[in-house]
Amino acid sequence: MTQHVSPPRGGTGKAAPVDGPPAWRGLLARADVRTLSLLGVLAVLVLIGGITKPDEFLDTRNLQLVLTQASVIGVVTVGMTFVIISGGIDLSVGAIVALASVWATTVATQEYGFFGILFTAIVVGVGCGLVNGVLIAYGAMVPFIATLAMLASARGLALQITDGRTQIVTVEGILDLGERDSYVLGIPPLVLVFAAVTVVGWLVLNRTTFGRRTVAVGGNAEAARLAGIDVRRQRLYLYLLSGLCCGIAAFLLIVLSGSGQNTNGNLYELDAIAAAIIGGTLLSGGRGTIVGSVLGVLIFTTITNIFALNNLQTDVQQIAKGAIIVAAVLVQRRTASTP
Amino acid sequence: MTELTSRRGLLFGAAAVSAGAFLTGCTSNESSDDDKPAANDQPAADDKPGKPVTIGYAGPQADHGWLNAINDNAKKRAEKYSDVTLEVTEGSNDTAQQIGQIETLINKKVDVLVVLPADGKALTQVGLKAMRAGIPVVNLDRIFNTPQAYRCWIGGDNYGMGLNAGHYIGEKLKDKADARVVELAGLDNLELTKQRTQGFDDALKNYPNIKKVARQAADFTVESGQAKMAQLLQAQSKFDALWNHDDDQGVGALRAIEQAGRDDFLMVGGAGALSAFQAIKQDNGVLKATVLYPPTMAASAIDLARALGQGKGIGGMAEYEIPASITLYSAVVDKDNVDQYMSTGFK
Amino acid sequence: MAPEPPLLSMSGITKSFPGVRALDGVDLDVQAGEVHCLLGQNGAGKSTLIKVLAGAHQPDTGTIRWRGEDVTLRSPIAAMRLGIATIYQELDLVEHLSVAENVHLGHEPTTAGFVVRGRAARASTAQLLARLGHPEIDPGRLVGELSAAQQQIVSMARALSHDVRLIVMDEPSAALDPDEVDNLFRIVADLTAEGVAVVYISHRLEEIRRIGDRVTVLKDGRAVAGGLPAKETPTREVVALMTGRNVEYVFPDRPASAPQGEPVLSVRGLSRDGEFAALDLEVRPGEIVGLAGLVGSGRSEILETVYGARKPSTGQVLVDGRPLRPGSVRAAVRAGLGLAPEERKAQALLMLESVTRNVSVSSMSRFARGGWIDRGAELGAARAATRELSLRPDNPSVPVRTLSGGNQQKAVLARWLLRGCRVLLLDEPTRGVDVGARAELYAVIRRLADEGLAVLLVSSEVPEVLGLADRVLVLREGRVVHEAPARELDEHRVLDLVMEGSPAS
Repeated sequence: MTQHVSPPRGGTGKAAPVDGPPAWRGLLARADVRTLSLLGVLAVLVLIGGITKPDEFLDTRNLQLVLTQASVIGVVTVGMTFVIISGGIDLSVGAIVALASVWATTVATQEYGFFGILFTAIVVGVGCGLVNGVLIAYGAMVPFIATLAMLASARGLALQITDGRTQIVTVEGILDLGERDSYVLGIPPLVLVFAAVTVVGWLVLNRTTFGRRTVAVGGNAEAARLAGIDVRRQRLYLYLLSGLCCGIAAFLLIVLSGSGQNTNGNLYELDAIAAAIIGGTLLSGGRGTIVGSVLGVLIFTTITNIFALNNLQTDVQQIAKGAIIVAAVLVQRRTASTP
Repeated sequence: MTELTSRRGLLFGAAAVSAGAFLTGCTSNESSDDDKPAANDQPAADDKPGKPVTIGYAGPQADHGWLNAINDNAKKRAEKYSDVTLEVTEGSNDTAQQIGQIETLINKKVDVLVVLPADGKALTQVGLKAMRAGIPVVNLDRIFNTPQAYRCWIGGDNYGMGLNAGHYIGEKLKDKADARVVELAGLDNLELTKQRTQGFDDALKNYPNIKKVARQAADFTVESGQAKMAQLLQAQSKFDALWNHDDDQGVGALRAIEQAGRDDFLMVGGAGALSAFQAIKQDNGVLKATVLYPPTMAASAIDLARALGQGKGIGGMAEYEIPASITLYSAVVDKDNVDQYMSTGFK
Repeated sequence: MAPEPPLLSMSGITKSFPGVRALDGVDLDVQAGEVHCLLGQNGAGKSTLIKVLAGAHQPDTGTIRWRGEDVTLRSPIAAMRLGIATIYQELDLVEHLSVAENVHLGHEPTTAGFVVRGRAARASTAQLLARLGHPEIDPGRLVGELSAAQQQIVSMARALSHDVRLIVMDEPSAALDPDEVDNLFRIVADLTAEGVAVVYISHRLEEIRRIGDRVTVLKDGRAVAGGLPAKETPTREVVALMTGRNVEYVFPDRPASAPQGEPVLSVRGLSRDGEFAALDLEVRPGEIVGLAGLVGSGRSEILETVYGARKPSTGQVLVDGRPLRPGSVRAAVRAGLGLAPEERKAQALLMLESVTRNVSVSSMSRFARGGWIDRGAELGAARAATRELSLRPDNPSVPVRTLSGGNQQKAVLARWLLRGCRVLLLDEPTRGVDVGARAELYAVIRRLADEGLAVLLVSSEVPEVLGLADRVLVLREGRVVHEAPARELDEHRVLDLVMEGSPAS
């Protein structure tokens, strides 16, 4: 009879909450305890970085570096967050990034210059998202399986296109975009794109019918359907959105690395899922925030940065990353269970 | 600024080559009249058609420039001989799948096997099986657990790579007091990465004025090379030399160096990619040399397999039998000798 | 005189959750062999109390004595070992395992400690099922394939597979038909005859009268009355204890004249193979039409098919004379249909969301320009809709899961009110709603009809259909067997109609 596990929230959740909260509690509630706890984690990391490597860590260039390195996976994570909130999963993001980045950097594509590359990356991303979406929404495939299949075939196709070779980008406009001369008020263009995707993602999730439908589908798909929401179309759009984010991310990666390679986007799916989860997105759907996910990405990138600056090796980094995922989720559960 | 522009010119050059000279990129083996002075290009046994030999070749999945060059070298070399039939399996990184593929080749009763295992230890048993079935095995690069599992091993020298890179950097910096070097290693899960690092560290022990101040591991991909190098550059505001284990990830590392606007150190690469050779030849960036881990070993492996199949030895050696083990030399390629190696560069 | 100590004696049990004191010094005595009924409105603390008893919650203070000895129920397993079994309202069975596997889950008969003896498990399960009066359930079948009533039997079999002295049943009759309820009562009688005690939770007072020995009434986390005689205490007194006020179980008055006008909803020859046969019905604006029938008579299926959530085999649904695209919820909603489904939590509510968002979910585009939601307008409209239905608390920003069952139902109704829906389909509208709140809900439904809505109502509680509807269609095995104005029918007549010719009667 180990079945009698009580639900995470007490069975008496129906009882009336305590009387009118004072104003400061309302404010605190608005800021969301989860977000605050993530900011706390980030603050602790900044403290650690500042103490261990004051000169290298607390430096404008380092801030630029951390944000730049967060941009590519950050854009992917925004799309992934939408998908997870809707109760789905997209395991193919890394493979789509790889495919889009190699397709956009073939010799033929490069002849079309800057916009040819940008266009191809985005179209390939959206195209893969479309396939995922149609299979899941209209082919009634489980997202895990459909996107796993996409993962395998997109990686395969990327390998076929490149033959395992690194495709070096020669288009000046692309290369320029990754260099210091292109920084706008000290902000790298990649970071600007990341910021824009974040802001748009936040607005779409919180202020539009699309966002509401996403949450509704993830929270209770049957209820959403019976409330008159076109659940299938919404699912299709969500995987398209994830594909679009992968396309943008692929473009950023091309700019960042000046090349396209079939090994690009390695394990992005896991990084993006991990960032979304520590950001407070429920893997079962129905709840999640863009801010949380982006903070999750920044936490991971900052950890990597601090470890590299302190010359700690990959094995230690991986152990710490695992520990932080567990710690962040535990801390959140604790803070979430106290109002 | 001029430095940046010219570097782009160089990258453009690389792509132009990629568009046109695709076939000649790896090895120039199409005809012996057209011989270029490539060090490896002398076939071991003689070129005259002999007894027909069927060689089974089981290579890895070519998801990386060097591995791709390995497969290419093997196939091109085999095409060169009218008496060689090459049975090529679909490249695989999956141990179980590769075992199955090799067993199929054994059942087909090929004359000789050339195997570059996904994992040397894990494929030892199937190597033994082939040998017991009377099929000599040429073990390429990733070595089996026991010499009983191969007739001849040919491969690169990871320790030697590190050693030669260390010596090259050591000689360049030997007059500099308190010199600082940085290492951008490859995938830390692999033993070869540890060997390369060990060789590098051992070489540097000869130069007490040099200190290795930082090491980060990338994973042989451009993306990781860029990311890890960017962190290293931020961590070390001043250093004199960088050793990068792999030219593929070096593309990303060079990109990070360019983005950080740094040119105050010398860089030594590893493996021998065409883009690296071209940069060395141009000599207007930080990349001054690269240490070879030549993919031409696959061509040599075909030569060895053919000689084994025909019962011949290697020209230039007194012994009748071909050696049990051949370790290639990890030559340092710099501006002075780069032309000689250009044709072996892989993409 | 030294009376035998009670089987179970809980005293001074308190349990707090963040912000809520769920139990505030509750006492409960249970004697061996009695049926002890636990009564209380939603949120009174019944669920918390039985979870404490099941070892799923740890009390903050208080003592539990079991057969005269102090015990601590650290976990469900500890409670199980003492012989306390709990059958929850929401059954906790594993759908993809067989009946026998479920019954023996966690204590499978094994050889050498780990090899499950499937045959032995099936044999003992078959025995238990026979004892429970359901020998027809095959122990090898998957639980997911069983009906709700059969699943409950399996859950009971699981409880009995242990050496049990006390069984807690949380609203066991909620999902059962009358004849199945009779069987349940027979089982309860058998158990008590063997000396097993039963703690029985139900909303239905008449059941408590039939089988209960004593009643404990909970209100706001306190036991306001303990050990009342179940059969003698007047209903009015029990209701007064539960609600703190005297409530008449009343239905609102019907309008003086029958609704006129063209039917807004017409169903013509609608059928679904294996579920219900060709159905014709019409509902006029201002009219409440009730469907009465047993579980399995196709009631819910009819509503869901009218609503487009299931695709009909034949027939069509017309709104204002225009046929709807079959099998399309969206077409139905656009045409002005709204469904309040039977399983509110599973089928209607977004439990993690606020009341506002639950109310506005079907009308989002009204507050959106270019996909952009005007949250001020949304909140205002949700507030207006929930106020019109007197939803409590009067704050649409609270999470919907904090609402009582009745208020959750009002949130669903507010959704359709806001949408401007013209035909309301109500499937068991008062399921899980406590007695005090029902009358209010009935009044709301009647008021909506008076304002011109057409209502199609389905309920397994015959008095509810008779009291609320203007016209009643009686269903049996997927067919309409009788249709009449509600005032011409009474409960006995309807029960006769639904049972007529059925083997159970």
